[in-house]
Parts: sequence; structure tokens; C-alpha cells
Amino acid sequence: MTEALLELEHVSRVYGEEVPVHALRDVSLRVEAGDFLAIIGPSGSGKSTMLGLLGCLDLPSSGTIRIGGQDVGALDDASRSALRGDSIGFVFQQFHLIPHLTALGNVETALLYRGIKPSVRHDRARAALERVGLGARVDHRPVQMSGGEQQRVAIARAIVTEPLMILADEPTGALDTANAANVLGIFESLQSPERAVVIVTHDMGVADTAHRKVSMRDGEIVADERRQLVS
Amino acid sequence: MSDFKDLLGVAWSGLTARRIRTILIMLGPIVGVAAMVGAVGLTESAKGDLKHKLSKLGTSLITATAGGTFGQSAPVFPVDAVHRVMAVPTVTGAAATSELQGVIAVPAVGASDHYQAFPVPVQAADLDLPAVLRVPMVSGRWLDDADLANHTRAIVLGAGLAKQYGYVQGEQRTVRLGNVDFGVIGVLGPVELDPGLDNAIFMTQWAAKHVFLTEGKPTKLYVRSAEGRTKDTADALATAISLGGPESVKTDVPSDVLAASAQADKTLQQTALFAGLLALAVGGLGIANVMSISVIQRSAEIGIRRAVGHTRARVASQFLLEALFVGVLGGLVGAAFGVVLVHLISGLAGWVVVIAFRRIPIWIGLAVIVSVAAGLYPSVKAARLEPLETLRLG
Repeated sequence: MTEALLELEHVSRVYGEEVPVHALRDVSLRVEAGDFLAIIGPSGSGKSTMLGLLGCLDLPSSGTIRIGGQDVGALDDASRSALRGDSIGFVFQQFHLIPHLTALGNVETALLYRGIKPSVRHDRARAALERVGLGARVDHRPVQMSGGEQQRVAIARAIVTEPLMILADEPTGALDTANAANVLGIFESLQSPERAVVIVTHDMGVADTAHRKVSMRDGEIVADERRQLVS
Repeated sequence: MSDFKDLLGVAWSGLTARRIRTILIMLGPIVGVAAMVGAVGLTESAKGDLKHKLSKLGTSLITATAGGTFGQSAPVFPVDAVHRVMAVPTVTGAAATSELQGVIAVPAVGASDHYQAFPVPVQAADLDLPAVLRVPMVSGRWLDDADLANHTRAIVLGAGLAKQYGYVQGEQRTVRLGNVDFGVIGVLGPVELDPGLDNAIFMTQWAAKHVFLTEGKPTKLYVRSAEGRTKDTADALATAISLGGPESVKTDVPSDVLAASAQADKTLQQTALFAGLLALAVGGLGIANVMSISVIQRSAEIGIRRAVGHTRARVASQFLLEALFVGVLGGLVGAAFGVVLVHLISGLAGWVVVIAFRRIPIWIGLAVIVSVAAGLYPSVKAARLEPLETLRLG
């Protein structure tokens, strides 16, 4: 069995105390290196809660989450932030670029506070932007770019740290068909045997590009299917 | 160190990205520090020329005026009053003047009616008078030993009187005193500590005695004491002059009045300082307010920074550093404004510019403390934001 990059063991997440809402119920999931995984499900099925937990942005009410063998719940904020910065790259539906920074500045944000020299940081950020086809737009600000380009900057920001896992939340949700196809193409190109790509979506077209589909309903995993790859 | 540089860069770019907002929140520290620099600078500058004069004139001059005895119409001192005064160990110099009664000075033919109605004081003065007063001559020379030896009929005009007479430097001018013509040999500079002398005519004690038959008894003494001994010297003068006799002596330290008026108006200064502090405090509230709103507006930025691995402490430091920059820059700009303001107004009013440069770092420090304190709450608020909530996942 391949070593798990990320493991959820009997994880539950309950919001509220007086009227508890069970967003996730006793979920267990292994994400392995090389996985291209889509988490699908209708609205309210627990997808976003799952993404928050997978990305160390939230902690479970019960159960254990391990990233690279480390129990996330046992870490303090600084260690958890470091783990998140080192191991996970995020891509969001609304891009979430910092408006006053250029494309290069946005990508460099992920490399700050790591003792990296500014010149090295520039080079790495530029290389990441070139990888997503934006080598000519490094000095543009988000308002000067199209939605598709902004999402590609966000992808460059996610991959610049060479993370073990890329977590994307409806990455094509705010894009037109052509840009969506372009972005999906980039996600496919990001697959590697050392890395996992996890996309949370309710778009079956997007889910179909993944090799593994985890279906959720009412806070539970109801299916975990692997597509047979035709080589 | 490199992390700190990163932090400085992030905070700086956060401020420069929203220039108008940054300038607006800087107004508090700017107005506060400018008000304090301006308030103290202007109140000090308004009195600066008086202080300057005071330091030039010194505070050691004492005047002694004869109070006379009961029923005496023109009180005078004993003839040897200067000699008696010089016996006081703390006295470094003394000179006497005797006002001549009933002597009318007429500078030009046909002007006697006017000068009889408005007589000019005529004084017999000691040769040391300008030295004791520390007043230089405007032109010509003062009365000297040669005038005594040669029995010259020489007079010196006070600066104000010379102007009134339209006296031109080097001019041969005679002034009729009583029925005798006297020649003008010089003009004494303005006497700040006894402006009455500016309108007087001075002659030697010899001329007074021999032309106007005075007894040579002084009516006023000008005494210099050793520095710092003015008060006790003044107290000793009465006894030294009267030596138990019936003369009453009134002593005065004329620089005291000048010193009192040279004191900056403390109440005004404190009011203005308080206004500056108030501006700073209100500015602090403004910073806290605007930064709190800014934290809400920038919640997505905070969320993304947290998502890419920035810790809560770094997010808090970023906002705290922004507040620190606001305080430092606002303080510096405010101080510069204050200095310019003091220069401008003092220039217009003709004052000597006095700026309390040593106090400026304290006021800038105060602006920084207020700004950082004001930034504390928004910073903590920023650090406490949950990235999951700010990023609004699909």
C-alpha cells in the first residue's frame, strides 16, 4: 500500500453547542501520493467542511487527521501554519488574490517568512507563473487580468512551494467554459506520483476528469470510486 | 532577520496600497504632533526676542531712586552715594544721574514755547553710566575726563531725543540749555532697561555744578551687582546709601519686569499642548476605527495569508507594524509641519524662532505609542479571524 499523504480517521465536525449541526459524521479517508481526487456532493453534503479539515484550516470535533504521519490536532498554530504552508497549496473558486499586489507579488506571498532571499523568491514565483502560461503578465495586478488568468495566478501561488497536496475548491466555478477547460488542463498537468490533487466540486464534468471520486451526502462518504486508467 | 524584512515589506505594501486611507489615518498623529510643536514653538518664539535682549542686557542691573524725606520736593541722595554703594562687596559698578530742575532745553530758535510746555529731562551723569548700563553709543562719544578737565559744554543725546531732534550723525549741533549753548558730541544707544533715558540730555557733573549751580546730589543710581547676587545687593543698597540717615531709597531690578514678560505664557502653552494631546488621542481612536474596518475589508487577504502558512502572530505583527509606520511617519510629518508653522508665523510677526527640538522626539514617541496602542485591537482581531470563514468556501 502507498503511504498516505493525508489520513482522516473517524473524523466528525460539529458546529454550534446549543443546537449542534453535524457537518461531518465519522468520516475516514486516505489520500495518497499520485491521487487525482474529486470530492463531489450536493450543497450541504459536507464538502467544504471536508476541504477545511483536509487543508488544516479547521480542526475536527473528534477523530484524527494526519498529514505526512503528523497528528494535526496535536500541533500549535505556528506548527500547523508551517505544515499548511509546506504541504498544501490552495486554489479557491473566488481566486482570492490580494488586489494591491502584482501577479508576482501574489505568488511570492506563499514564499514569505521562509528565510528565502528576495531574488530567489522572485525567480521561483516567476517560474511558477511561466508554468501556468503567465510569464508575460508577472507585473499585472488582479484587476488587469481576466478571471481565467487570475485563477492561473492562484494556481501558481498554490504550486510555488512544491506542496505534497493541492486542494481546490470549485476551481472552475467562476469561469467560462473555455477558461474552465484551460484551468482543468493545468490541474491534470499538475499530477505527479509524489503529489495529490484534490478538487471539491459539484460539477460532474470537472469530477469526471479525476481518477478517484469521493461522493458525500449528509456529512458522510457514500462512495469512493477509482476510475480505471486506460494506458 | 530575513523574516522581519519580509514583515516590513508586507506592512509597507499594505499601507502604500491604500494611500488615501493611510493619509487619513495619519492625520491624527500629524495634527497632534504639529499642534504640540507649534504650540510650544510659537509661545516660546513670541517671547524669544525678549529673552535674547535679556541675555544681552543681563539681569544684574539695579536702580536706586531717592525717595526723599517727608516734605522734600525733589528727593536726592547724598553727594557720595556712588562711593557708598561701591563699598558693598557684591557691587561691580555704579553710576549716578542728577536731574536738573527747571532747565529748559531748546534745540532750535523759535521752538522754546513747545519745549517749555513739554520739557526734556536734563541729566548730569557720571562718566561710567554707559558702561554700567552696558549700552553702546549710536554715534559720537560719551562724556569723558577731557570734558571734565577742559570744562567743555558738551552734551550727549538719548537715542529717542536724537531722533526727535532730527540729529544727523556727525552734525555740528548746539542745544540751548537755559541761556547757554551746549554742543552735541554723541548719541547714546537705546536703554532697554530704563527707556526714560532715551529722551534725556546728558552733561557732566562739572557742567551741572558750574553752569546751573547744582549741588551734585544724585537723584538716581545705576548699580551693577555680581552675577547671581542681584537680590541681596539690592537689599543692601538702602542701608549702604542712607547709612542710617533720613534718606529713603527705592530699589528696582528693571530686568525683572522684562524677565516676567519674557516668560512664555504657560497657560496658553498648556492649553495648546492639551489640544495637541487631544488631537493625538482622537487620532488614535480614528486609527483604531479605520483599521478595524480595514481588517473586515481585508479579511479575504488575511484568510489567504493564513492559508499559505502565515501564523496568527505574523498577521497580528503585520497590522501592528502598519500602525507603527502610521505613528512614526505621522509624527515626523507632524513635527515638520509644526517647525514650518513656527518659522512662517514667527517670520511674519518678526519673532526670533525658538523650537524645542529636544522635546520633538518625545512627542513623536507619544504619537507612535498612541498609534501602536490604537492598532492593538485591530491586530488582535485580524489574528483571530478564522481563515475558513473569511475565504467563504464554495
